[in-house]
Amino acid sequence: MRTVTFIPSYRKIDVERGTTVLDAAQRAGLNMNVVCGGQGKCGKCVVYIQSGRTEFDQQKYNRFFSDAELAKGACLACETFVQGDLQVMVPDSTLIQEQKILIDGLDNEIDFHPSVRKYYVELHPPSLSDPSPDLSRLLWGIQKNGGPVAEKMYAPIEMLREIPSILRHSDWKVTATIGLVPGGYRLLDLQENDTSSRIYGAAVDLGSTTVVVYLWDLVSGKVVGVASNYNKQISCGEDILARVNFARRNGLTRLQALATESINSAITSACNTAGIDRDDIYEVIVAGNTVMTHMLLGIDPAYMIAEPYVPVVRRALSATSSRIGIACNPNGGLLTFPAVSDFIGGDIIADILACGMGEREEISLLIDIGTNFEVVLGNNEWMFSCAGAAGPALEGGEVLFGMRANPGAIEKITIDPATLTPKFSTINNLKPKGICGSGLIDLLAELLVACVIDRTGRINTDIRNPRLRKTNHFPEYVVAWAKETDIGKDIVITENDIKNLIMSKASIHAACVTLMKQAGVSHREIATIYFAGAFGNYIDKKNATTVGLIPEIEINQIKNIGNGAITGANIALINRRARKTLDSIAHKIAYIELNAENSFMDEYTSSTFLPHTDLGLFPNVQKMLETCRIRKE
Amino acid sequence: MAYDLSFGWTGTIGDVTLGATKADGGTRSTSYRIGGGTTIPFLEETAPSPTPLIAFEICDNPVLWSPIIKDYCGDLVNNPAEWAKTATNDYKADLIRLHLTSTRARNFTDIGSVGTVVESVLSATGLPLIIEGSNEPKIDSEVFLKCGEAGQGERLLLGTAEAGRYRSIAAAALAFNHSIIAQSPIDINLAKQLNILLREIGVPRDHIVIDPYTGSLGYGFEYSYSAMERIRFSALKGDTDLAMPMICSAADTLTIKEVREADPASIGDVAVAWEFYTGIAAAAAGAEIICIRHPKTIGLLREAFADMKTHPDAAEVQ
Repeated sequence: MRTVTFIPSYRKIDVERGTTVLDAAQRAGLNMNVVCGGQGKCGKCVVYIQSGRTEFDQQKYNRFFSDAELAKGACLACETFVQGDLQVMVPDSTLIQEQKILIDGLDNEIDFHPSVRKYYVELHPPSLSDPSPDLSRLLWGIQKNGGPVAEKMYAPIEMLREIPSILRHSDWKVTATIGLVPGGYRLLDLQENDTSSRIYGAAVDLGSTTVVVYLWDLVSGKVVGVASNYNKQISCGEDILARVNFARRNGLTRLQALATESINSAITSACNTAGIDRDDIYEVIVAGNTVMTHMLLGIDPAYMIAEPYVPVVRRALSATSSRIGIACNPNGGLLTFPAVSDFIGGDIIADILACGMGEREEISLLIDIGTNFEVVLGNNEWMFSCAGAAGPALEGGEVLFGMRANPGAIEKITIDPATLTPKFSTINNLKPKGICGSGLIDLLAELLVACVIDRTGRINTDIRNPRLRKTNHFPEYVVAWAKETDIGKDIVITENDIKNLIMSKASIHAACVTLMKQAGVSHREIATIYFAGAFGNYIDKKNATTVGLIPEIEINQIKNIGNGAITGANIALINRRARKTLDSIAHKIAYIELNAENSFMDEYTSSTFLPHTDLGLFPNVQKMLETCRIRKE
Repeated sequence: MAYDLSFGWTGTIGDVTLGATKADGGTRSTSYRIGGGTTIPFLEETAPSPTPLIAFEICDNPVLWSPIIKDYCGDLVNNPAEWAKTATNDYKADLIRLHLTSTRARNFTDIGSVGTVVESVLSATGLPLIIEGSNEPKIDSEVFLKCGEAGQGERLLLGTAEAGRYRSIAAAALAFNHSIIAQSPIDINLAKQLNILLREIGVPRDHIVIDPYTGSLGYGFEYSYSAMERIRFSALKGDTDLAMPMICSAADTLTIKEVREADPASIGDVAVAWEFYTGIAAAAAGAEIICIRHPKTIGLLREAFADMKTHPDAAEVQ
């Protein structure tokens, strides 16, 4: 065994020789940033070997490091193998930072009509003249106290085994928990005495990056606790594909356990804030994408990532939470949202529920941008959906100084068109470390408006300005000088970064247009565009239109629904009518496979222009850019 | 069976003038105005189409030029001026397209020689000139300025602008009133994008000729054809950003496997046949200028054009 010591935290772990430093770090409890899942591709898991023998191919990975960094012992944790006892320095930037996690949903009032209720009943004990069985006695009592009709309630055998003793021990004063499940009403729990004020439900957004939990008091209809944390599956690969591949190699058990652990720790911290007992949670509603849902339920997702991309199950599923390992009342129910396809999952159904587009006649366009993007177009009668990879550029990947929305990320930028001097703000007002998605979109729009880049994103190198320079590889624009930053380097955006951003925005816009063409809808007929997801929440709507990320419509008709997944889960938790519509919404949505759509590539190419090759689709942007160009000349 | 060939199109392909005669301040004996089409060419029911122009390609450094052409043209290939003269008088080309291949040599610095070559070719022929400049961003600016300067007043057609590098060539064209070849890789959207970029830095529409990029017949030409067809349809439907004449040069034709591996005795004929059929197909797709490298192809194309529904004249001679 070899001992690896990680500084500055001085965590120690003993591992076999030949283990990767990444593995050792994870086992030591460090949350490393592993975008590619440990394949040596992303260059994010940088550590510095202070002492000890390792095996690392500097030649192969030298593109990630400067000579000075290599001299200081820099290497990729995932590609470095432990040979002897080590001391490893882990820089802050390698650890997963606290991220701006979106927990707000829409502030809409939701009708409070939950699916689980408690009924306190005081029953007459049986006698020779009233010998009806315990169960009917209990169910009648519930019906008499405002519960469902006795014949419609069902008690599982596990409950029947407990009923006689609880009734007698409590002197026939009990609280019954009745849940509305797909088959009817079910007796979930029976407790002695009056506990009817203690019934809670949890709505969960199980994202591939983060987990958000809302805890509801199901008597008062109030939110009593909110918590969020990282999806711990990140240690098995940052993106979904990496995780499915992890499951293929190592089985699903670890991922299933990490999913429940992630949910449980969020539920626990929400309970702690609210001061309630987890056992009083009787229902947990989970909205997650299709792969997340499969993994949570322990269903093999392996067949979803290869053609012809079929999930095992689409419909909403309910199970007893204890079977999945969710930390709530063991008899409590777990409901997962239905899906449309592999790529349009429960999170998107939740978005639809949250924005209410499925209830209105006017046509809405819903765009959820995360690691992947999903687009839904439609109204109360029809809906089309599609999904695709936007590339990691909008989340800070494949962009030299791109980063996630962590503290220190530049999130808003304006550029003075005359001097090309930028003004920016960072998350938490720290010194800048990099640029996150919303900042990148701002940058793209501002550089275009300032005529620094042309419509294909190429930097005009004829402009003489200290912020514009040409390096060995690409021309670049300096956003922040080294002395202003936290990283001691100039923060720049290169022409190559811009190209990657344009490819990302083009695929999203092309997806919107593909759906619009499928439905025969022009951009003028779209009443509202909804942005879902964290990215959409922080993005500048005007700039998103200027660069042609979304079709041009009135700016005030573009709305952020924030975290639609949690809002949708909340709605489904406390409104049984809405919950009933889930499967029908999912069934109404037609899924368009962009890969099979011949016109998609064409739409994509015409979208790889700022804002678009067909300038007629962006009349106002075009007018604005013309003005800027003339002013510049 | 009768088809309705009116299509209801409203757009017209814009005109581009190539070459300037004395009257226009140049020294060319001929100039052409290409474009002006309102439908696809060679339809039976419509008015005759202008005959596409045939541009003969020469170069100022034949090291990499096809041996087939070197064999046929002999010593001429070492003397661009003589070559251009022969192309004008004997081969009967409509245009000369001069490739400044000398600028593609490693570490080329002799910018002055560019001007000399252009001037010598200009004085050797009265035909309008197409000039292909360097292929190296570092010297682009100087080479194009030199070409533009040497051909000032002659309404040259300068090549080739691409989305990645169009500023230096546009600057030269704007400074000396020449036109530009705008090349995009077989894609209607990319063709349009480049035209918008050129327009936005001030190149007028009547100074742009679209090169949709032409693969050899059997080696991607079907893609070129389809892109050209779409470009032309869009233009005729009213998209002014695509309403420019097109130029096709399927230079790959001389290096494809069938030509390379042909019987040495007939290799020239195979090359000519390939060049001819590619050229005629490009004309059918709507190209206004067909570039070729083998002198024998010129006669064949001319004969074929005469049998198609065309004006007796080549484009509009001014």
